[in-house]
Amino acid sequence: MDAPHLSPEEIALWAEGLLPARRAIHLADCARCRETAERERRLFVALARVERLTPSREFADGVMATVNSPQGSGRTPES
Amino acid sequence: MRATATSTGGSGTIAAKDRPSDASGASDQELAARASGGDEAAFRELLRRYERPVFSLVYRMVRDRALAEDLAQETFVKVFNGLASYRREFKFSSWIFKIANNAAIDHLRRRELDTLSLDGPTDAPTRGNRTGQVRQLPHRGENPLEELEARELGGAIEQAIGRLRPEYRACILLRHVEGYPYEQIAEMLELPLGTVKTYIHRARNELRAYLGDAHP
Repeated sequence: MDAPHLSPEEIALWAEGLLPARRAIHLADCARCRETAERERRLFVALARVERLTPSREFADGVMATVNSPQGSGRTPES
Repeated sequence: MRATATSTGGSGTIAAKDRPSDASGASDQELAARASGGDEAAFRELLRRYERPVFSLVYRMVRDRALAEDLAQETFVKVFNGLASYRREFKFSSWIFKIANNAAIDHLRRRELDTLSLDGPTDAPTRGNRTGQVRQLPHRGENPLEELEARELGGAIEQAIGRLRPEYRACILLRHVEGYPYEQIAEMLELPLGTVKTYIHRARNELRAYLGDAHP
């Protein structure tokens, strides 16, 4: 009996390299799942290129100046 | 926190307890406890660890650099002021991202209300005014800051992320840029785990469509 098609979660796991081999082997025989998986992998590669962005050089000093000011250290709890 | 010594960048001396080297090896939880007790170096170390992740998330949510710095600063001030009530059974990263995301979402909602009140009610809201992500990126060359924004957020994947509704965008960024597991994202965004999985699945489908790589 043929193995069932990969679920969306399994496809995502495959794109992250985390799908167990006993399920990943299904891709060798199923063109439909292979195409879906390749599309998922292309998106993951594009997302992996999204980098953290850096605030201005003055940002940290601005935060410290605010928390050290009488107005900035109100110590009101955050829920 | 009242600084008892000048910290990095100043001309004064740094008290031994406030030296960055004392803080850099500590866990977030330890730093939060020390910062809560008035240790400026501990708070500075938390700021150093989280300024880029927090700024990145907020910037991609509101897509305006100057505003993102204001909201990220608001986040750190709220963190600082809430340190005494921070519950240590939760990860510090979950707590700070929750505050950052709330700041961004609150801003987007306010902007959406402002837009609606200026434009009057509409019977059929557009996707843009429904999701609060209407700000268009400027073209290159308008001014240095806008040029920087266009460079940072102008690529195809960045534009596609910018088209996602805010809830999806936050989930995708926390999963794919910050690398958090679904369970922690659910904690950060105060959403059921199943909802986070659904949002991420739908967001990926939308991203593929925006990038022209959807199912034929």
